[in-house]
Amino acid sequence: MNPLLREAELIETRRHFFGRAATGIGTAALASLANPELFADQPQTQLGAMGATHFAPKAKRVIYLFMSGAPSQLDMWDYKPKMLDWYDKDLPESVRNGQRITTMTSGQKRFPIAPSRFKFNQHGDHGAWVSEILPHTASVIDDLAVIKTVNTEAINHDPAITYIQTGSQLPGRPSTGAWLSYGLGSMNENLPSFVVLHSTVNGGFGGQALYARLWGSGFLSTRHQGVSLRSNGDPVLYLSNPKGISGKMRRKMLDNLAVLNQQRFDEIGDPEIQSRIAQYEMAYRMQTSVPELTDISDESRETLDLYGSDVTKPGTFAFNCLLARRLAERDVRFTQVFIRQWDQHGNLPNDIRRQCGIIDQPCAALIKDLKRRGMLEDTLVIWGGEFGRTIYCQGGLTMTNYGRDHHPRCYTKWMAGGGIKGGIVYGETDDFSYNVQENPAHIHDLNATILHTLGVDHERLTYRHQGRDFRLTDVHGNVLTDLLA
Amino acid sequence: MKKNRSALAVLVLLMTTPFAAHAEVDFSKDILPILSNNCFQCHGPDAAQRAADLRLDLEEGAFSELPTGEFAIVKGKPDHSALMQRITEADPDLKMPPADSGKSLTEKDIALLRQWIEEGANWNEHWAYVPPQMPALPEPVAGWEQGNAIDLFIQARLKQEGLSPEKEADKATLIRRLTLDLTGLPPTIAEVDAFLVDTSDQAYERLVDRLLQSERYGEHMGRSWLDAARFADTHGLHLDNERSIWPYRDWVIKSFNQNMPFDQFTIEQLAGDLLPEPSLSQRVATGFNRCNVTTSEGGSIDEEYYVRYAVDRVETTATVWMGLTAGCAACHDHKFDPLSQKEFYQLFSYFFSLTERAMDGNALLPPPSVKVPTEIQIAEKARLTSESTAANQEVAVILENAEYADPFEGTEFPVYAKADVVWFDDELPAGAKPEGNTPWEFVESPDHPVFSGKNSTTRTGEGITQHFFTGATDGPTIGEGDVLYTYVFLDKENPPETIQLQFNDGSWDHRATWGADKCFGAGRDYEGNRRQGDLPELGKWVRLEVAAADVGLKPGAKLNGWAFTQFSGTVHWDQAGTIGAPQLTAEQKKSLAIWEHYQKTVGSSVPENIKKIIDVKVEERNEDQIAELRKYYIENVNPDIAAKLAEPRKKAAELKKGLEDLEKAIPATLVMEDRKEMRVAHILERGEYDKKGEPVESAVPAWLGSAPEDAPNNRLGLAQWLVSPTHPLTSRVTVNRYWQHYFGTGLVTTSEDFGVQGEQPSHPQLLDYLALTFIESGWDIKQFQKLIVMSSTYKQSSRVDQTKLAVDSQNRLLARGPRFRLDAEVIRDQVLQISGLLVGTIGGKSVKPYQPAGLWKPVGFGGSNTSTFRQDSGEALFRRSMYTFWKRTSPPPSMAIFDAPDRETCQVRRARTNTPLQALVLLNDVQFVEAARRFAEQVMTHGGDSIESRIAFVYRSVLAREPSAKELQIVGTLFNEHLAEFNESPEAATELLAIGESGRNEALESEELAAWTMIVHLVFNLSETVTKG
Repeated sequence: MNPLLREAELIETRRHFFGRAATGIGTAALASLANPELFADQPQTQLGAMGATHFAPKAKRVIYLFMSGAPSQLDMWDYKPKMLDWYDKDLPESVRNGQRITTMTSGQKRFPIAPSRFKFNQHGDHGAWVSEILPHTASVIDDLAVIKTVNTEAINHDPAITYIQTGSQLPGRPSTGAWLSYGLGSMNENLPSFVVLHSTVNGGFGGQALYARLWGSGFLSTRHQGVSLRSNGDPVLYLSNPKGISGKMRRKMLDNLAVLNQQRFDEIGDPEIQSRIAQYEMAYRMQTSVPELTDISDESRETLDLYGSDVTKPGTFAFNCLLARRLAERDVRFTQVFIRQWDQHGNLPNDIRRQCGIIDQPCAALIKDLKRRGMLEDTLVIWGGEFGRTIYCQGGLTMTNYGRDHHPRCYTKWMAGGGIKGGIVYGETDDFSYNVQENPAHIHDLNATILHTLGVDHERLTYRHQGRDFRLTDVHGNVLTDLLA
Repeated sequence: MKKNRSALAVLVLLMTTPFAAHAEVDFSKDILPILSNNCFQCHGPDAAQRAADLRLDLEEGAFSELPTGEFAIVKGKPDHSALMQRITEADPDLKMPPADSGKSLTEKDIALLRQWIEEGANWNEHWAYVPPQMPALPEPVAGWEQGNAIDLFIQARLKQEGLSPEKEADKATLIRRLTLDLTGLPPTIAEVDAFLVDTSDQAYERLVDRLLQSERYGEHMGRSWLDAARFADTHGLHLDNERSIWPYRDWVIKSFNQNMPFDQFTIEQLAGDLLPEPSLSQRVATGFNRCNVTTSEGGSIDEEYYVRYAVDRVETTATVWMGLTAGCAACHDHKFDPLSQKEFYQLFSYFFSLTERAMDGNALLPPPSVKVPTEIQIAEKARLTSESTAANQEVAVILENAEYADPFEGTEFPVYAKADVVWFDDELPAGAKPEGNTPWEFVESPDHPVFSGKNSTTRTGEGITQHFFTGATDGPTIGEGDVLYTYVFLDKENPPETIQLQFNDGSWDHRATWGADKCFGAGRDYEGNRRQGDLPELGKWVRLEVAAADVGLKPGAKLNGWAFTQFSGTVHWDQAGTIGAPQLTAEQKKSLAIWEHYQKTVGSSVPENIKKIIDVKVEERNEDQIAELRKYYIENVNPDIAAKLAEPRKKAAELKKGLEDLEKAIPATLVMEDRKEMRVAHILERGEYDKKGEPVESAVPAWLGSAPEDAPNNRLGLAQWLVSPTHPLTSRVTVNRYWQHYFGTGLVTTSEDFGVQGEQPSHPQLLDYLALTFIESGWDIKQFQKLIVMSSTYKQSSRVDQTKLAVDSQNRLLARGPRFRLDAEVIRDQVLQISGLLVGTIGGKSVKPYQPAGLWKPVGFGGSNTSTFRQDSGEALFRRSMYTFWKRTSPPPSMAIFDAPDRETCQVRRARTNTPLQALVLLNDVQFVEAARRFAEQVMTHGGDSIESRIAFVYRSVLAREPSAKELQIVGTLFNEHLAEFNESPEAATELLAIGESGRNEALESEELAAWTMIVHLVFNLSETVTKG
């Protein structure tokens, strides 16, 4: 089916729904519009352009924990004990093999090996190696599929993060969450289907830049773009009534607005007016549902403890992980949590220890919390950044201090839950964590796999724009079937 | 391939549209889309993907013998055509299109193909690639209103479909529609009244003419163009720093207001710099293709970005002027349209040789740029220049008349000892920006060791830690043999492993290290890590000295930064500076001989020519040398003469500074400029910058017609080709966008794609009529707008008849007038205008009106100059929305929520959604609440005394119409209820009225004003208010 037409048909369908809701039953319908309780009885979901999934989905929703700046796989996941013997020796030319590197280190005279200063231990039934700076994550290793061979072509942050989020290094394409909102629609009419959360580090922001395009809708309708849920000010932009306008006054205003708009509709007959009446009701419902969502006072002490002490501070990664679980409970399709400051060109050991201290416990807590609520099986959790880091040192090298440049050829991400096999390590890299040795996982493959768990064939979720059927995975991508449960 | 243009021209005339049922199959409309959608992937223009040697996009290929001996298509004989056999094949392995292609033909498609072959398989080109031909005008339909030729085409079609047009909209609706369409603002009550009382036949036309003369017209038309031009105020990639290119935006507005013909508008933007002796305005115009996103991300590879920028320019230019999706051909031959990859890179070549740099440097004005002074600035510059010349003249005269005799007659010269010159002690030097892992910590005695002054600075850390500053303005200039010094105190209990000093003269690569090699540059012995020895003695102040030359600081280098770095431990630092020459006393300076001796013995900072003279023995100097040295001394050193010169010199300096400040204040803008040596473009395999194939030269795709004979083969020639009257696309694409402006949808829905995959035009003859009329008018843009709005089609009522809705939900046939939601900018500008808040200034630097706090921080890079949003105040809050500062990576949310594009890429068609977030903006954004309050004040002062008259005032101001009796009743009741509520809680009224930075009319009673504010706000939120009806 031509997806463009399909989208147009859906818009029509929705209009008809709202049209019926308000005109078919005359004044009674107006009452229902004025009264959210009545309106809430109407179907709560919107179908996506696909209508139905291409095949039975394992995951209903996604929580994507994005580590912006590119965490070092070498110090967290990809254990390379042989490198200790290589300390301060040059990376063999046969390993680098003329591959392009960034202009930040391409002028360096030497590429001295910097082994990780951290201890690694084996965890889980499969004895996966995990760095000492991830003790909590190690405790849920049996639920994770650790993918050591993720790779990309981009070597700088902006193109790389744009690439993994949208399938293209250049601006203009829809993000993964937008594709899912477009394809699968929304499961909760009171909340956006794609939510973005930004995390503070030590109380502030900073680090590599993020861009609205990373949760943008590209050429898809702007309805599909991610909505940022903020930790200061209104959680959703413009959510609060202006000062001096009480909830009661607002309700009265909306009731009258609906009546006036309805009158206009009776005269003019434009179904768009009906749609606007419904949007105002939805906005009103969001004014209630969003504060309920972000108010964590109903969480048990035990749950809060699980996520760690930061969890009560809005905007922290821990708080955002808990919020992600609450969003998942409310069937928000796609939640993306960003945390920055992983771009460790120098002083890496100190900085990565700090970062892991922030993310380790909440990541593990999210897995445990979802699991004990029976939600892990249909919630896909993804962790990782836009590329990896080099085995060779950038700047001064000692056994305990070093920096690492960008490395696109292999790095580690993990996935868990919805449709993913837990307790596995996928792919192998060479001794230098420089090249993939077996089972590469290109970021297009990863995105294809994400869609697959949601019942979406990445080759068939398309949108015609400028005469071409576009998709998240461009013309690439293979589902990594070994990862599937 | 020889193209059969005349045959196609006839066909275009015969062509019907999607709604019409017709007997004969039309190749371009019915067959080509089927082939394109289902077959071209493997049997289309892309040579690399072609299967079975069958090419269905060319007539020659479709009818030639296949390697199997079969023929895909045999004219008149579907049963002998392999194509028919394969698409109806039962065997899934043989059936076309293949199952795994995800494509399949419908029964209708197959029937159409069969019918087409039966009817002789007439072959023609895609309609849009054949120049338009002037169609015959359809006969007018009797009894229907016709304003001009547009209506003949529209109505002929309506009649054919059994539909009829709506009556003309009432005058109030018309003036609102027209004013919004031509200016982006609503009409005032006075304007509405004037139009209502003008009952002459020319009333409407006069209104049109008035609005076309309004300066608001240029702003409104320009705004859509800026979407296409991807205009914004930041670079877009990575740091997303501010960019100065708004003079280009102002050029667009001015061009529309001056009604610059579209061909000139095109040429100046694409190639104004290549015109003979281009004017400043023509150079500013070339900003069009400097609006693309750029980067300066560390680590990026230049070559990759030169390619990306040129690709973006080709894509944008092709979309805007040709509705051609050229980008597809960057990686391979276009799958659907005849654009080959080679042709893409021939177009690319036009844009590949700019003098721009790949890295924008995160600068406000990455070169090339031009200064764009205002008239006032030009005059001011002339004044300052002339006064400055006069002041310099005065100095010259004094010098000319100066007399000098050296008072020193002895031979014993003074001794000049080198001494410490303290740069900073106790506090940071002027201009220094302190930074560090943790902030600078100053401590005092007796609790802490202090070497001099009242404090020292200290740090305790793990691993490499440091504190430092950059940006100091009074740093020492390094002289020959200079030494840098500071004092250090290492803690006995917790000593560091390494200490390191770093000096910044623009680069930090000047370091001196003591102790273990563990700080910056470790592992290398070079200027950036010069080992000075072991750690100094613990527990006491030790003086550290570093020879400037040892760490690569060359004479003339000026320090602006200094870093104290350590590896672990606790360290105190105090006083820092240079050991350099002392100054001569004023008395000593009075002697040329002493001064000269000083220069020789202490080392000098005089210019090279003077130094050379000083090096010559006194007795060996010639007259010229003596005179030159004396002149230098008098002008620059002698204190007596300096005193005489003080006043005039001060004046000259002030004027010079004034000129410099003026220069800095003169805005500048990014422009295009070609390199002298053009770069050779190559076909890039899969579009990858480092996979160079065959070199190509600039050329236009010949299948769209050749360039005019005298056109140069550069961007100018490209622009001339685009606007040559025979170009099949430019005029069609342009008039289609104008049509879209008024009717919400173009005659071709896909205004960005006129290719084979694009939608067919709803009214092909009308499109050609308009395209040719536009060219014949001399590309007169205003005249063309007038043509559209003078049509009866445009003036129809937009009431939605349910029968018509069922037949034509998208209103493509135009059996009713246009009706759709206003654009983001118009929605905001409208309430600013109605409330009287709108500041009408045209152009200038972009402004930052209200935006919810904390939007830029969570996404911005720390070092970016757009990582913190600083809201403007005053008039800047109330400018038209097109002047709102556009940060690409975090666009103004109230605009984005109403579908304003992100401006990262070219956009010629906006989406129009209807979402709850839009409701939240209208309900709660301070901009709208404040405007409601300000307008409520007018309602109370100008809306009469009764509730009814005031409500009428609101409706007439916002919607240009009177309220109905029922509306009066509903709104009146609501007003009384709100008033009662505010009377009950007056503090609520006070709170509501305090919203927004503009002051309030204190003479008005709060509760009543608050209640009216609620009423106005209600009307601002009506669906009708945000809709053009």
